[in-house]
Amino acid sequence: MTVLSIAADLWRHAFARKWFLVLGVAVTLFLVVIALSLRMDVVDGALAGMRLFGRPKTIEITAVDVALRPIFKAGAIVIYYPFTIFLIALCAEFAPSLLAPGRIEHLLSMPVRRWELVLGTYLGVVGLSALFALYGAGGLCLILGAKTGVLTLRPVLAALLGTISFAAIYSAMVAVAVLARSATSSAGVGIAVYFAGVLAGYRTTLAPMISEGLPRHAFEAVTGLLPRISSLGNVASEMAGGQAVSAMHLAGLVMGFLAFAGAVLAVAVWGFERKDF
Amino acid sequence: MDLAIEVHDIEKRYRTWRNRKGFCALDGVTLEVPRGVAFGLLGPNGAGKTTFIKVLLTVVRPERGRVRVLGGDPEDPRVRARIGYLPERLDLPAYFTPMTFLSSVSRLKHLIPARDGILRLLDRVGLANDAGRKIGGFSKGMKQRLGLAAALLGKPDLLVLDEPTDGVDPMGRVEIRNLLSLELARGCTVFLNSHLLAETERVCSRVGIIASGRIARQGSLDDLCRAEGRWRVAFAPGASPDKLAAAGFQAAGKEFLFAGQDLMALNRALDAARAAGAVIAEVYPDEKDLEQVMSEVLTPAPVVVSSPVVTP
Repeated sequence: MTVLSIAADLWRHAFARKWFLVLGVAVTLFLVVIALSLRMDVVDGALAGMRLFGRPKTIEITAVDVALRPIFKAGAIVIYYPFTIFLIALCAEFAPSLLAPGRIEHLLSMPVRRWELVLGTYLGVVGLSALFALYGAGGLCLILGAKTGVLTLRPVLAALLGTISFAAIYSAMVAVAVLARSATSSAGVGIAVYFAGVLAGYRTTLAPMISEGLPRHAFEAVTGLLPRISSLGNVASEMAGGQAVSAMHLAGLVMGFLAFAGAVLAVAVWGFERKDF
Repeated sequence: MDLAIEVHDIEKRYRTWRNRKGFCALDGVTLEVPRGVAFGLLGPNGAGKTTFIKVLLTVVRPERGRVRVLGGDPEDPRVRARIGYLPERLDLPAYFTPMTFLSSVSRLKHLIPARDGILRLLDRVGLANDAGRKIGGFSKGMKQRLGLAAALLGKPDLLVLDEPTDGVDPMGRVEIRNLLSLELARGCTVFLNSHLLAETERVCSRVGIIASGRIARQGSLDDLCRAEGRWRVAFAPGASPDKLAAAGFQAAGKEFLFAGQDLMALNRALDAARAAGAVIAEVYPDEKDLEQVMSEVLTPAPVVVSSPVVTP
């Protein structure tokens, strides 16, 4: 209950800030631009033509759900990759601001346990990222559904995978914020985990390119611990594009992300419990 | 004795990676505060006052010693739920209104945030007309009042206030003093940390002086301020200083001092003064103010250098 109160408070903080509302407006504008600029000609369940910003695209008459797959795939990739970086920058300040002098003393003096503060902040931010991702993906689904008559939730599922990816990255950001109390360090580690996680997804391909012996072992050891962001990104785009995805592969990846987030959060709580303010 | 705060032999060191021995902020502090009293913790900057408060609230964990607050361990959230705390520099969310801030604090204190109750509280601290304004536009004194309102939420059994009147205008200070008096009358214990000695003197009945991480002196205000066996006597104009000196009175400005614990000795001296034609206007125990007490405690004793005795 306290965890939810802290998460809800974080949402109130977020929505009271102008720049967070700007994010909502930006996502809405993006959807509006898509809705107004994307013209599609659907004839008897087939996509006869499509114009983006007035320029016609050469598309052979295809079943509309098949023709839309690349668009859904592109949408999923946008939500998964650039949007995650945007979220890292946007949410880096939350945990350090929680630890600001004058605020943390007040919070800790209340009947709140330290782990509840860490978990509440974490869940609040991950919830916010899920909200924006679902808003963007859901809006895209509705717009394309209205224009073409094909309503699919696959981009929404891809957005949820993007949230899982961000949840793993944000756990590392929280841990750094707890130890260093710095938004810049938190964002820096978030970006580092993001790019290292992209590399980790291709670790088996990249490993042979590294000198044998210690360097390769070190690369494999480090990337073995990291969440495989590009692997999950590939699954998300495949899923949005209507391709078959192995449930076991997906479950394994998601479990890996959750294990990473859980372990790093445990370190964050451990550090927080021992810290004086 | 029913104690609100019971601290025994606590030690706290702030260590860094470079300095593992660290800086000793509290060095074997032992302090007891009875329930229902106003206690003032005094001391110079860096003496350990804020660290002591943070130890009470588990914001800082001591290396050694025992801390009990309201009869329980402050690590227990149920104990902390009965404490209201105003930090020295409360960081308030600029985008919130007092209503949203106090609602948020209510939820974290496991209280149901009732609008009427919050408005009443804002009225008590003099912010009723600013309930809908953004906190970012508040003055320092207004923020301090709002922090006090947050501390008062849920009628706590113990109020821990770190510089509560900092930045508050003189009238506001009077209002806060009255508010604290009402809380004391309700049975609440007030633990006050203030640099303003006059403020502490007006609010607190018991005082502790901390210096270099140790409690240098503690007790009731009366005990601490009483000058041992000294009386201050005011005579009506016209009394002869020489005759008063002969009776045992020592001039101290417009008044006279009489040193002696024995009341009979004082009365004999007064009789002698009256016999010499002096008219007594006022007799009262010579009490020190907190500033003098602090000065006595904090000023190091002069080093006595023995010098050879010269005999004629």
